[in-house]
Amino acid sequence: MLVSKSLGIDFHQSEKQTLFRFSALYILLTVIIISVFSFIYFELQKDLMLQQKKSTLQKYSKELIENLKQLHINFDKTQLYPRSDKFNSAIYDSEQKLIFSTSKSKLRLDKILYLENGVIHLVNIPESYYLGAMFIVVEMKDDKKWLKQTKKEIIIFGGITFLFMLVIGYVLLRLFLKPMRDAINLLDKFIKDTTHELNTPVSTIVANIEMIDKSSLDEKLLKKIQRIDIGAKTVSNIYQDLTYLALGNQIVSNDEDVDIEQLAIQRVEYFTSLALARKVTFSLNIIEKTTLHIDKFKISKLLDNLLSNAIKYNKIGGEITVSIKYREFSVEDSGIGISEDDISKIQDRYTRFNKSSGGFGIGLNIVSTIAKEYNLTIKIESKEGIGTKVSVSW
Amino acid sequence: MVRKIILVLSFMFCFLDADVYKNNCVKCHEQLPVSIDKYFYKYLLIYSGETDTKNAIISYLKYPAYETTVMSDAFINRFGIKKKSKLSEDELKEAVNVYWQKYKVFGKLK
Repeated sequence: MLVSKSLGIDFHQSEKQTLFRFSALYILLTVIIISVFSFIYFELQKDLMLQQKKSTLQKYSKELIENLKQLHINFDKTQLYPRSDKFNSAIYDSEQKLIFSTSKSKLRLDKILYLENGVIHLVNIPESYYLGAMFIVVEMKDDKKWLKQTKKEIIIFGGITFLFMLVIGYVLLRLFLKPMRDAINLLDKFIKDTTHELNTPVSTIVANIEMIDKSSLDEKLLKKIQRIDIGAKTVSNIYQDLTYLALGNQIVSNDEDVDIEQLAIQRVEYFTSLALARKVTFSLNIIEKTTLHIDKFKISKLLDNLLSNAIKYNKIGGEITVSIKYREFSVEDSGIGISEDDISKIQDRYTRFNKSSGGFGIGLNIVSTIAKEYNLTIKIESKEGIGTKVSVSW
Repeated sequence: MVRKIILVLSFMFCFLDADVYKNNCVKCHEQLPVSIDKYFYKYLLIYSGETDTKNAIISYLKYPAYETTVMSDAFINRFGIKKKSKLSEDELKEAVNVYWQKYKVFGKLK
């Protein structure tokens, strides 16, 4: 998991948005370009087909003119308009008034060769206007073979072009996103390196303080050492929180049955010096022993955060009660409390309800993340000015 | 009543028109070996539309000339150019209208 994402800067989201917008625009443009070329190709194929049919229609037109000529000569004997099974026809005078038609459709005289409603039309002007026919229109049905073939070609070539353009788009996208990815990786590496570099000095300070024989120290020096101890443990906690956020998904869970009572005793002892600085006292209320199958580091992190918050948001000289019963433990403080409205927001990252206390406001977010991972139920009860009780059950 | 008068007058004019055509056109053409309808189809072959055909016939009747005739050289050589019509413009129009109505192709083809 990227540290930047853990810290709430969701670069992946912005990356996805950029990706989506670019893809949408690119696909739209690709579709428009392919449609334009398909339309041009379709029109060219139509023209080609019309030119191929033109000679046939001209032959029909010539045949009709010859028949009209005969009819013109013998009009006093017969008025039977020449018909054919192969084509329909119509004749118009110079004023474009219809003289006669075997066609059912309304014909146009402003074009020489055209396709309309699945019928191909040829408008011809003969040298002599037999029966007054200046415009001779012959029409035949379009077999639509060219249309099927053209559609097939457009679908195949359009599809191939679309896929090809998608591949090009993907390559372009990777090129465009590279600077953004590099920046994210740089930031991520920086945060990881920084937290790693903190570990050694902080661990050294904490370990060395623990090794000091406190009984041999005078009161003044002991106080100073205790302050260093508190400071070092605070930094250590922040380091551990950051590490958890930075490596959240990369930490391999070693789940085991953890004795909650033993863990609580250990962590309370660890935080005693911090609590004493604020004159806060701990009391352990073990009603029943219980175990939880969980990664020890994670449950420690969860409990540490609850204890740390209980100290941080407690009043001077306050109390913290850690209670343990079957499949549940709780940390109760006598601090400032949280308003009802704020309880729902409390697990959001960076939420702090008392600006006077330090911290990043990521404590309860870590608690929430671990609880979610192990299906633990977190219950927060609080009254402003009286205190807060956080219960964890499973 | 008015309708009846208009109807009667219309019939009268038709008959009068028919008379102009019959007395001044058919009368002479009956004496020729080529029937009068053949001239009509000659005009139709060249002028196609009603307006152009009528105008061409009237023009020729008023100013008959070798250059404007629709008939073949052999026909002209044999029968010559007709004499200029003495009919008035209106009478010519009336006669040509009857001629058009009688031989037009519209509505006759089956």
